[in-house]
Amino acid sequence: MPTVKLYANLRKLAGTKEVSIKGDTVGTVLDQLVEENPNLEAILLEKEGLRPHVLITLNGQNISELNTQVTEQDVIAVFPPIAGGIYSPFTG
Amino acid sequence: MNGWNGKILDIDLTTLSFSSYPLDMEMARQYIGGRGLGARLLWDLVGPEVDPLSPENVLIFTNGPLTATGYQTSNRFSVTTKSPLTGTVLDANSGGYWGMQFKKTGYDVMIVRGRAEKPVWIEIKNSEITFHDASELWGMRVYALTEKLSQDNNRRNVLCIGPAGENLSRIASIMNDRDRALARGGPGAVMGSKNLKAVVVEGRERPEIVDKERFKFMLYETRKLLAASPLTSQALPEFGTVVLMNIMNNIGALATRNHQQTQFEGAEAISGEELTEKYLVRNASCWACPIGCTRITKTGKVEGEGPEFESTWAFGAQCGVDDLAAIIEVNSLCNDLGLDTISAGSTIACAMELSEKGYMDSDLRFGRADLLAPTVEEMAYRTDIGAELSDGSLRLATKYGHPELSMTAKGMEMPAYDPRGLQGQGLLYATSNRGGCHMRGNMIGLEVLGLPKLIDRFQVQGKSSFVILNQNSNAAIDSLVICKFINMGVADEYFARVLSAVTGIQYATGDMIKVGERIWNLERLYNNREGFTTKDDTLPPRLLTEAAVDGPSQGWVSNLEPMLKEYYRSRGWDENGVPTPKKLAELGLAELVELQRS
Repeated sequence: MPTVKLYANLRKLAGTKEVSIKGDTVGTVLDQLVEENPNLEAILLEKEGLRPHVLITLNGQNISELNTQVTEQDVIAVFPPIAGGIYSPFTG
Repeated sequence: MNGWNGKILDIDLTTLSFSSYPLDMEMARQYIGGRGLGARLLWDLVGPEVDPLSPENVLIFTNGPLTATGYQTSNRFSVTTKSPLTGTVLDANSGGYWGMQFKKTGYDVMIVRGRAEKPVWIEIKNSEITFHDASELWGMRVYALTEKLSQDNNRRNVLCIGPAGENLSRIASIMNDRDRALARGGPGAVMGSKNLKAVVVEGRERPEIVDKERFKFMLYETRKLLAASPLTSQALPEFGTVVLMNIMNNIGALATRNHQQTQFEGAEAISGEELTEKYLVRNASCWACPIGCTRITKTGKVEGEGPEFESTWAFGAQCGVDDLAAIIEVNSLCNDLGLDTISAGSTIACAMELSEKGYMDSDLRFGRADLLAPTVEEMAYRTDIGAELSDGSLRLATKYGHPELSMTAKGMEMPAYDPRGLQGQGLLYATSNRGGCHMRGNMIGLEVLGLPKLIDRFQVQGKSSFVILNQNSNAAIDSLVICKFINMGVADEYFARVLSAVTGIQYATGDMIKVGERIWNLERLYNNREGFTTKDDTLPPRLLTEAAVDGPSQGWVSNLEPMLKEYYRSRGWDENGVPTPKKLAELGLAELVELQRS
């Protein structure tokens, strides 16, 4: 099963840093993650899907398409919308 | 006067005298304050013939029209000088309380010239200036001195140098409010060269605000926006900037062991999550800041502010150290001695590589957490091995015949983000006017976090336009002077609107970008005048030619050359990176250059 690594306050909410979750796409893995850890739903999801600024990487590469296929050896990292960074207001 | 006080304090340490005169308001409109005003004044005051550690160099402390108004994060201030580390224009920016208090003394700018015959400290109480003998204070560390001079956050604020500045370390910082730093590029050495130990401020005045009702509404809106943003209301208060450690490591853009790798196996152990769990006492804020990103941490040996992400990285991944307690302690030591943590950590890392490869004879090795604090002490006092590291990694590596092992741009040590994993970030470092720096337009928002949208971090074509926009907007923000973290919740038009409400001058967002572009080009002209050319817009050979050996960025180098060509074109510069007459005319800089020529 793919491995899901959790960061920042997701760890406290899920009670763990890392889980193995069944699924064949990034999206189905995340759905299953939330189903098994309902505490994560409010922070990760909204009606239209992933909340803005939730950062998902697959083997270290940023992912925006949730229907990206995953394999047993893949590692999905999930960062909630908490990261620091310089966002210029002038880019809108 | 609205926003600005309208006054410059001009101090001559050679004669221990001062004068005060009006701020040129046309200049203030064009450059606003902070970094912009500092650059404009430095252009007039310090030319290429001036050695940075000579009496002819100046320190220009500036606040901005928003400072001390009470707008969120309106506590910051700048110092501008010619850098003893790089020889470029240098501005450094700090938070805390000192900037706010300096504004309340009634001045916008303090120019410090000359050199005192014996150590002095300056007290500015309201508008009165007193020079005090600092002979007995010389040698004191920052923490003890700050206490001795009666620091009281909201009423009386101390800005000073520690032993590093006194000993003219080219990576010495100026410290304020105990743990805040005007860190990069060696301003502490400039202050030390002038025999100036401290500047203490107490003031009563508050800036005038033209449209108080509109300003009050802006405060309300900003408060709501910052509270609604998960970044400013949860992430930064809870984890601080060190939350970036796992993020950057995860994507393979965390420079490790002097940029030999791009992932660090010990990143988890020095992460924001680990810091919060094991060492955090509480968070704290600068004046008028609701975000609270400051960490108050405690180990068995120290309790105080910090560390930030870059400091944790510099003594952590860059030195191959995964001992977070040791990192917290050496960060505190740097603050107490007055040393820039990024340059100090990265210089030690350079020494580690030189030593491991047998080019240099020392015990320094990657992973030796036990040697961090002793080495930093020696750097501040220029003793033993510290004497060789005290002036940064480029001078060290050059002495041992391997300048290519110094991870610097224009002589300033680069921060944590490895350009082989972030192409735009590499262009940013190479073109930054003060050298290897991420605070002149950080690209990680766009290339990593999707703020405001995600762009391909490995893409090269088209990157320059984003870098330029970030650089220009950051220059404007550095002139207001407010904190860049406020960007995470507050949209672009707010800053122009707040500035308009305070000053009564109508600024649109486009005007702010133009101010930023003007500042950027003036800094570039300054560096051109100092002899910097397109050859200096570069990165260490390791990043240009040695592909990343590990992690998600494996196989990548920094593809700087095509980005640089595109950058010059987009900036309106010629193929040598010199602003064209047309660009200078557009920005109102042509006259400046003509005056210089004549």
